[in-house]
Formats: sequence, C-alpha cells, structure tokens
Amino acid sequence: MNASLLNPFTVTHPTAVQTSLVSGASFARFDPTGKFVAAGRSDGSAAIWDLDTRAVIRWCEGHVKAVTSVDWSRNSRYVLTSSKDWNVIIWDLASPVDPPQRCNTIRFDAPVVSAYFHPRNSRIVLALLSTGEAYVVDSRKEHRARVELCETLSEDDDDERARSIMTTARFDPSGRHVFVGTSTGNVLVFNSRTKIMVARHRIAGAGNMKSLEFAKVGRRFATNSSDRTIRQFILPTYPSPIVGAECAILETELEPTHRFNDPISKVSWHAMSYSPDGEWLAGGSADPATHKIYIWDISNDGQFATALDGGREPLIDIHWHPQASRLASTTNQGSVLIWHCPSPERWGAFAGGFEEADENVMYEEGEAEFDIENEVELAMRKKLQEDEAVDILGGVENVVDHKMNGVAGDPGDEDLEWADDEPDDDWQEWRLKVIMVDDDDAY
Amino acid sequence: MDPLAGMDDSTTDDDNASQTTEDDPQVPDNHPPAPQPPQPAPVPQALPPATSSTRERPNYELRHTLRGHTQSISAVKFSPDGTLIASCAADNLVKIWSPFTGDLIRNLSGHTKGLSDIAWSTDGVYLASASDDTSVRIWNVDSGLTTKHLKGHSSFVFCVNYNTASNLLVSGGCDGDVRIWNVARGKCMKTLHAHLDYVTAVHFNRDATLIVSCALDGLIRIWNTTTGQCLKTLAEGHDAVCQHVQFSPNSKYILSTAHDSAIRLWDYHTSRCLKTYMGHRNEKFCIAACFSVTGGKWIVSGSEDQKVYIWDLQSREVVQILEGHEGVVVAVATHPQQNMIASGSIEPDLTIRIWSDRGST
Repeated sequence: MNASLLNPFTVTHPTAVQTSLVSGASFARFDPTGKFVAAGRSDGSAAIWDLDTRAVIRWCEGHVKAVTSVDWSRNSRYVLTSSKDWNVIIWDLASPVDPPQRCNTIRFDAPVVSAYFHPRNSRIVLALLSTGEAYVVDSRKEHRARVELCETLSEDDDDERARSIMTTARFDPSGRHVFVGTSTGNVLVFNSRTKIMVARHRIAGAGNMKSLEFAKVGRRFATNSSDRTIRQFILPTYPSPIVGAECAILETELEPTHRFNDPISKVSWHAMSYSPDGEWLAGGSADPATHKIYIWDISNDGQFATALDGGREPLIDIHWHPQASRLASTTNQGSVLIWHCPSPERWGAFAGGFEEADENVMYEEGEAEFDIENEVELAMRKKLQEDEAVDILGGVENVVDHKMNGVAGDPGDEDLEWADDEPDDDWQEWRLKVIMVDDDDAY
Repeated sequence: MDPLAGMDDSTTDDDNASQTTEDDPQVPDNHPPAPQPPQPAPVPQALPPATSSTRERPNYELRHTLRGHTQSISAVKFSPDGTLIASCAADNLVKIWSPFTGDLIRNLSGHTKGLSDIAWSTDGVYLASASDDTSVRIWNVDSGLTTKHLKGHSSFVFCVNYNTASNLLVSGGCDGDVRIWNVARGKCMKTLHAHLDYVTAVHFNRDATLIVSCALDGLIRIWNTTTGQCLKTLAEGHDAVCQHVQFSPNSKYILSTAHDSAIRLWDYHTSRCLKTYMGHRNEKFCIAACFSVTGGKWIVSGSEDQKVYIWDLQSREVVQILEGHEGVVVAVATHPQQNMIASGSIEPDLTIRIWSDRGST
C-alpha cells in the first residue's frame, strides 16, 4: 500500500541479507501474507517466525522424525507439516496456544516427501510418499476420500514406464490440476477433481525430476531435474474432462522456453522460486562450498541478472516472498537468511519540503515563483482546493490478493466449484493471537 | 455550497469579488503547492456561520458523566469491541468504565507517576499505558494485572500505540526517542532518535509498515517500521507546533492537530494539506483529534474553551459543539461501532463525558 513511499524504484530483486534467523531449519516458507516464515526442522518440529519481531511465535511440535515440507493455507490460518515419520499434521494457528492445536493428522504407510494444501480449500491435501506414490486426501464430509494418482499407461513401451516413480507433486496455482514429475523425466498432469490423468509431457534429456515451481501470474512453470538444468515452460491449457467419457490423454513433448544452468561449474540446483510478479526466477545453487543464489530476468528473455553471495554456509533451500522483493534462503547450518532490497537512507527525508539531487542542477526560477500574492486570494485558492472530497475509509487492498494468485476463477467452473464445496474456516479476518512470553521462559 | 461564503467574515478591506489577477482562483492550482500559504490572518472567524448545507448534522447528547479521577485526565479510549472505555490521568491510575452505564469497573494501578497515554490491543485483552515513571505497562484488562513492564525510555513516556496485529508497540518519550517494542517478550527492538523535543504522538499505519510521529519541535515524521529509516518530514508553519498525529482509517492520510488552533488532514505522499479544520481553540495543551466514521464522517476534537467540536470531514464546517465540561477538553475518543463520543477534561473538571447520537439507538 505504501510502495511508492517505501520503495521509490519499481520492484526489483533482493540484493542483500537483511537478517538471519537462527532456526535449525532445513527449509523455510513464507506465508501468503508475507508476515511469517515457517521453518521446518530435522528434529520433527516446525518454527513459525514473526518477521515483524523476528522472533519465534509458535512451535509446531508433533513429528518424531524430520519435517520434509510445510505449506500454508491461502489466508495463513492453517499450516501443514509432512514428515519422514509417515504423518502429515495440519495445525490451526487461530488457536491461542503454543504449540497450536492440531486440526487433522493424516497417516500414510511410508515416509512423506512433501504435502500441499489445495489452493482453494485446505481440507484437500496432496501428499507424495517416498515410495513414489501421490495421494489426494480429501477430509470434507461429503467427499471424504484418499485417492492415489495413477499414471495411465499406454499399450506400447510399458516396461519402461513401469519403472518410473513419482518424485515431485504440486497443485497448479488454480488448483485445477496436479502436476507430477517422474523419475524418467515426464510431467504428468491429473485433474484434481476426477483424479484422472489428462496429460503426459515428455521432457527430453531431463532425467529425474527434482522439483516443480509455478509462477503465480503468467502461466509459466519451471522444473528442476537431475541434469542440473532448470527449465521454464509455458503452462499448456487442458480441457475439462467430460464425466463418463473416456477422455484422451494429451501426449506431448514440452519444449522449454528457457534453460538455466551454471555454465562454468555446472552445479545442480537445490531449489528455485519465482518472484510474485513472475518477472524473476531465483535458483539456489547446490555448490557444497558457497551460498549462491542465481537470479534470472524472465521479463528480459531470461537473461542472467545476478548471483547473490550469502557467505560460507552452503545453501539448501530458497523461497521468494509472496508480495515483496524478499527471499528466504536456508543454510546447511540451519540459519534462514532473509534477503531484501535495501533502499539508501535519504537524509533529505529529515527536512520538510527538501529534495535531494544527485547532481548539481542549475535552478531555474519559475515565472511567478517569488511574486508576492495577495494573501486573501491565496487563502481563497486554498479554500477551493480544500473542497475536494477525501476518502478516509476506502481503497484498502487486501494483503493477500487472490486474483493475483490465480485462485479466483470464472463462476460455473466445475473444478473450482468442487474445490469450493464445504469451505474451510480460513477466513481472511482471522487474527493470530499474541502469546505473551514469560520473562524466564527462554526460547 | 458557496466556497466563498466563509470569506465574508475574514476579508479585511479588499473586495474579494474583484480579485482576478493572472492566477485565476477558479483554475485548479497545478504549481507545486507554493510554500505553505500563510494562514488567512483572522483565523477564528474563518468558518461559515451557516451555509445552506443539506448535509445531515450530528445530534450528540450527554449520556453519562464519569467522575473518579483526582487529577487531570490525559486520554480516553474505547476498547476495540466497544464494550469498555479506558481512561488515564495524572493520578497514576488507569480506570476501566462501562460506556453504557457509566460505572467504574476496575482501576489498574502500578505506575508511580502520572500517565499520558493508553492504547488497546486489537483483541481488547491488553491495554498499554505510558507514564512519567519512564515505563510502559501492558495490562491484562480482565485481571487488572501488569503482564509486561517495558523499561528503556530515559525520560517521561508521552504516547503509545499498538499495530493492528498487536505484536508491536510504539512509544514516544520526552527525550525525543521513539521506541518499537516486541510485545510478546516485552523487549525494545529498536530506538529511533526521531525528534529533538517531546514526542507527543506516534501511530502505526494499517499494515504497520509505517510509523508517523510528531513532536514539539514542530515536525511530523514518517518512518519505515522495518528499517527505522525516516521517509518523510512534514513541517507546518513555525507557529503551528504539531502535538497529535494519526493515520486515517485507510492509512492514506494523516490527521494532525497544532497549536495554531487548526487540525489538518495531509496527503503524506504529496506533503499537501488537504483540509484544515478551525474554529476551536488550541494554543497551549496537547489536544487529540479523532475520526468518527460510524454515522456521518466527522472530525472530533477537544478545545481549550471547554467544549468538544465536531466538524464535517468534507465541508470543514463545525456541525456540532458539545458543551458541559468545566475544564480544557484534552482527550476525545469515538466508539468503534456506535455513534458515541467520550471526552475527558483536565482540572478543575476531572470528568469523562459520554455523548451519543440519539438517531443511532
């Protein structure tokens, strides 16, 4: 809301470390409001950091083995943690206790690699197991189900496909589809409602798919694979499946619009993340000795913009802030570095009506600048100006703009109506209660 | 309405109808708002006595008179749900009242010197109070006990406010410092050496990215909460020492009161004064103003002539004057949901008066 005052330049990428949260974390995720960071730890807990106070405000302690992923519901009320202990726990941050109340525990029969909320309804969860199976778990009363996403195999070459397992699974930003990466370099697309596979994209030369990321705007996604290349693709459109009809599976080879790799040291990538406007893509390098974040300018044909150096602790994860030019990168020592775009201190701000000029400027006096005007007339003009109506209430933007997130859709869309049925309690108005910390209670 | 109607009283010898020089007053002024035009000389009479306005007017009437403070009252504030009203005074006490019955519910005692300001947390559970004993206390209003005692200011603490999430607290002291506190731990996170004189008001904007502060050095400053950088300074005329400032409900404007008996609404992006509200008297005391948005859109302020003034936000006319206090009215507050105003006065009056607009009930 105060972008013009806070940041005089257009949003750009972060350039410097603002703060370091010593968290014992193995990865960190901003919430959709951008006020909190959830840090997953290998001891089975997740810490919720408040970025205003830079302090841990909640400990989600419930797993007995390492937390493998966290996800936030769209208005940040619910947090999901998945763990190697075969469980996914959903926490309700609106409960005024620490650790927060669990509102659901989903058990599987293998370690959970990752889990995500459906972007429109946190009662639908997508989970990927270390055995290479992906499940959509629906905990709504009317739809209660646990459905495995199964690849539909074609007649030919099924021996080869049989060996492929799922290695990454994500909802797309609209929640209509689940994208699954496989160990053989395929991206499978499933309809979230019907759980039927609608497309299989072969990505030549990719090998094992390590992760998938979607840009919130601009219908783009990026893949990270074992060939040490990040590829960016244009998101294809898929027809909504017709109920009852055997629908054809779209089999295509996707051609990346860009390939990003490190041409010199040829390192692989741990993670990647799009900026909120989709104009930048950040890649976290897996270099074992440095903490390097590469940033590419997507709006400028994917040109390499810069490499940020975060010191000597190697990087293991990155995540871009949902609104601002900030990044969270995690070091292998468990610190979460928050990157920002520092604005230089303007000393002119301390004097009213004073402007700083970068260079000497020849001052040109305006025609009537120092004319002595009639006071009465001045007062009258001021009075006229003051008759302009002001609006002291309106024009307040919501922190989380769902249109921006691609969550809003056309009415009458069957997939979205399905997801909106039995909505969760993740209202925009909920507030996190501040829990007072006793002085002797040292975190 | 006739924009020139009010000028009849304030003109001196000139006939303002004949004032057409090269700058036609009808043309909106596109120049950079020339160095703050000097105030029209005869200020107090500048308001139109009665224009042919069809706007609805407020009709506030006295409901309750709350007596109990033994020394000058400095602030009154409604709780966010509107069920309670808190007041603080130089008698070291915070008092919690019911605005509907006028009964005293609880005293919060613990400060060792007089209090200057109070602020409710958004959930209404806690109340922060700023005292001359150089500390800020956070009270649990239900139990009446101090939850946190924030020490760090080197001088009297004059003003205090929560952010919307109520995880941060900002306070301003008489040493010119503004401090930002982590509420949960009761620790000072940041000290801004903001001003050279008493900091008389501090306020967060809606999303807590900005803090506005003003001081008796005559400056209004806007700060970036995260970095502590000064983003802007608004200076009024040298005769207009500002003593209270706050963001509008949507945080697009700031409202300031100054010792030239004027309340101003600023667009802080352009540093332009959009509205000036005059007619009351404010030359000596720190008098707060506030927005009233539950019915009509008004600006409400106390005055040194022992009255409470209500202006129309848009037309800047005084639409109602509440009389009854027998001392300078330094504190006013508006109910968050109903058409209700609370006002507090210093010695010798020492009362809090609750006014409500009959049309609302």
